[in-house]
Amino acid sequence: MIEGRGLTKTFAGRGGLLGSAPVAALRKVDFVLPSGGAVSFIGESGCGKTTLGRILCGMEEADSGQLLFDGVDLTKLPRGKRLARLRRVQMVHQDPYSALNPTRTVRQVLEDPLRLRARQLGRGNDWVKNRAVELLGLVGLDPRYCLPQYPHTLSGGMRQRLVIARALSVDPEVLVADEAIAMIDVSLRLGILALLRQLRAELGVSVLFITHDVAAARYVGADGQLYVLYRGQVVEHGPVDAVIASPAHPYTQCLLSAIPVLRGLEEPGAEQLMPLAGLDVGHEPPGCLFADRCPQAEEDCTLSRPDLRDTGDRGHRHACLHPRLRQVVAQAHAGAT
Amino acid sequence: MRTSSADLPSPSTATAPPVTVPGEAGGAEIRGLVVVFGTPDGEMAAVNGVDLDLPLGTITGLVGESGSGKSTLALAMMNAVPKPGRIAAGSIRLPSVKDMTQLRGKALRLARGSALGYVFQASQNSLNPLKRIGAQLLDLGRAHGMEDKGVLLARARELCERMGLDPVRTLSAYQHELSGGMRQRVGIVFALILNPRVLVLDEPTTALDMISQRTVLDIVRDVHRDRHLATLIITHDIAIVADLADYLAVMYGGRVVEKGPTRHVLQSAAHPYTRGLIAAIPRISGDIEKARPLVGRPPDLLSIPRQGCVFRERCPLTIGRCSLEEPALVPVVKEPGGIFGESGDGAPGGHAAACHVTAPAGGDRSRS
Amino acid sequence: MAVTVIGPGLGTEGGPRRARPAGRWQAARQALLREARRVVGAVIVVAFVVMAIVGPFLYPRHLGANANAVYAPPSLAHPLGTDFEGTDVLALLVVGARYVLVSAAVAGAIAVGLGALIGLVAGYLAGAVDWSLSRITDFALTIPQYPLLVVLAAVARFTSPLLIGVLLGVTSWAGLARAVRSQAFSLRERPYIEASRSLGLSTSHVIVKEMLPNIAPYVAMNLLVSMIGAIYLETGLFFLGVLPTNVSNWGVMLNLAVFSAGAIGSAQAVSYLLTPLIAILLLTLGIVFVLDAVDEFFNPRLRG
Repeated sequence: MIEGRGLTKTFAGRGGLLGSAPVAALRKVDFVLPSGGAVSFIGESGCGKTTLGRILCGMEEADSGQLLFDGVDLTKLPRGKRLARLRRVQMVHQDPYSALNPTRTVRQVLEDPLRLRARQLGRGNDWVKNRAVELLGLVGLDPRYCLPQYPHTLSGGMRQRLVIARALSVDPEVLVADEAIAMIDVSLRLGILALLRQLRAELGVSVLFITHDVAAARYVGADGQLYVLYRGQVVEHGPVDAVIASPAHPYTQCLLSAIPVLRGLEEPGAEQLMPLAGLDVGHEPPGCLFADRCPQAEEDCTLSRPDLRDTGDRGHRHACLHPRLRQVVAQAHAGAT
Repeated sequence: MRTSSADLPSPSTATAPPVTVPGEAGGAEIRGLVVVFGTPDGEMAAVNGVDLDLPLGTITGLVGESGSGKSTLALAMMNAVPKPGRIAAGSIRLPSVKDMTQLRGKALRLARGSALGYVFQASQNSLNPLKRIGAQLLDLGRAHGMEDKGVLLARARELCERMGLDPVRTLSAYQHELSGGMRQRVGIVFALILNPRVLVLDEPTTALDMISQRTVLDIVRDVHRDRHLATLIITHDIAIVADLADYLAVMYGGRVVEKGPTRHVLQSAAHPYTRGLIAAIPRISGDIEKARPLVGRPPDLLSIPRQGCVFRERCPLTIGRCSLEEPALVPVVKEPGGIFGESGDGAPGGHAAACHVTAPAGGDRSRS
Repeated sequence: MAVTVIGPGLGTEGGPRRARPAGRWQAARQALLREARRVVGAVIVVAFVVMAIVGPFLYPRHLGANANAVYAPPSLAHPLGTDFEGTDVLALLVVGARYVLVSAAVAGAIAVGLGALIGLVAGYLAGAVDWSLSRITDFALTIPQYPLLVVLAAVARFTSPLLIGVLLGVTSWAGLARAVRSQAFSLRERPYIEASRSLGLSTSHVIVKEMLPNIAPYVAMNLLVSMIGAIYLETGLFFLGVLPTNVSNWGVMLNLAVFSAGAIGSAQAVSYLLTPLIAILLLTLGIVFVLDAVDEFFNPRLRG
């Protein structure tokens, strides 16, 4: 089990039109990822969800807060031990084109980390070779065809499967999938999502799914928790279906309203909501972070920033002073599939 | 939402000659388009015999995987197919251009932009990183012989406002100072600044998050209506156009395998590929288990079957005939008592598909 | 009409599309044979290498002088004529090739090896390591190579091509190190390098196996270019007489042709002057022709 408590990260500003104010990527984020479970983080680009994934993989360090692996606080461990522990968390990158070294063949991509693993397990070279074949089979790639290939001869979907196989080579407990399907053809996306699901079921791998595609999050972890991040703050979280069916925070409602509707097969939600303006991370308001874009903001929203509170539903929490329930997601026609 | 389908001209099919509805002739008309690419194994067709109508006032969605030929088709509309490709046959009529494929040199350069506005897949890559947006717009105008800076700037400001962009800030910005969604909107400003009647958008929302995507699509819908354009949206994501397009065309292996009014295609897709695409979309409501991945991988230029149906290798319905004979695009006939309650006497709104099994050509239609 | 369910469970992809990637030798052959000029280049380079290896064994250790055939015109006995002592020019050319090629190869290998290694380590490890290595690089960049060699020539004897090769190498790696360092900086941010790190692969693995192949085309080009540089520099030094002329190589031939034989002013020593010049030009041309093939060989994306 992995638990994040009060994770906070601020990046120094990089200039540009908006000056160089520091940008808060994470603001006291709490989350729990049970073993074999799935947790999804959704939000716009720039909401901090990628930073969270990178912290979990050890590519970035939080400014403050705790990261507990089975109750052990990683932030208190010495660097070497911490990195070794974090090896059990592997990233599935957004872009399968840049996640694979163009000069390494599929065989090398898999056997390099497998040799490390073999040393830890006291296995020999045969094990490495067999395991590479086994991993490719597991992710749905034909080993005989793929092993001698360079990545540039593989399609986007095949590359993403290879990235997942590489991550599995070190027997991780957690896969962090950061927009893992965003750059893949829609027709091949579901195959990758189904693979993540299968790995959860068969290997007991937990999945931290970072996405802006709520339906994809629902497919991978319908039984898990959904966290809605806005400018680094968790503004709503709860069981996936509860948040989708009855979103409380207007930002969640905006996100869900933006999902395209398959007209003819679905009816759009009755009360869709759109934000008033684009995301502007430049200024730091004293009140609710979303107030400047919120269609239903009231005067006190700009004065005090709400913390997470219960909606009444068990485990479903939100951070809005004036929540209003709306039905925003599309509903499937009864007759159509 | 039935309004648009009634106005639609009947699209051409392999069996019927193209019909153009009088008065709606102002849009774009693609006939028998073939685009080939030179490869070590000879010339291969990336687009193979495509007929497509883009009437004014209609948004058409062109859906296909990578390698389906959809982007090549769009480039061909600008007569800008990169080497080693070339337009081998066919014609492209635009409102003010008789045949885009015949234009060369200066005439071609002037036609691009003024007859047809094109929004590139990654707008950030089509903008010069070292020049302000406004200066680039003026360059574009100058290249088309519009010397009047004032008119051009006024038009740019108006368009920016229409896109929900702050005109002063946007025009004086460099591209890296804009967010992805803003750049895409700037791309639309560029495409429309010369007042074309035909607008082509290639993957307009790739790499955008849901809210930016929705904003861009809403803007496309609005400017389309305001200006009474003929709009073509090219995408691999059928969900994007399902919400927006009046008319859908599905491409696979260089062919249009199904086309028709969006609702008809979504509700009663005839081609197994279209059905597979729709089934592969995870939904936000309803039974998530109903989503099914599409097996196999899309063909590339070298692996498109030369004979028979291009989809047969991934098709669950394939029969012997599929490997021998290429199916023609023929009207899809509704079953009696279908969702629309229409009788089986014709294809609603020009719904056509190319499949031996689900849309057999000639006779025997009632068994589809 | 219900949407047909396509395929059970997991979608799998794969299946033969293209031929298997060729082996190393085959890839090298393909890269070379793609264009005629690459073949020409390879033939020239190989010819010089063979000349350098075999040449000195073909002729006696001391090439004989012949007072009766001073400045003899090209003939069957002396295809390229003779020099001021009546020594066969072809023999001088062949025997001198080893010195030039060995020193150029040593200089190129050292410059490129040091440059790539220091650049990669500095760029990948960044921080304090980068700072220290960068200061060393800056220092090496400011060493005036020509004057240094002139001064050293007064102290050391350059009878061995190895020694001058080493000297040329250790004074010319810094530019490449700088260039490689900036490439390494951008490489280390690539997701695949991050992935290697988070998989726990060692630093040496990441540098040698993951990063080096990505800059290999660039490094290989630099190897050839710096060999050309070394050839010009060294023959230049010998020509100017800065380095002692008691060895046999092309630079010494040039020096003697111009300063001893006065080839600039008189026609009789023309072939003595032109022979080393043309040899240098030919070798350079050969290397330049081979460059593309090397680029293609190291870049899997260019290999069709």
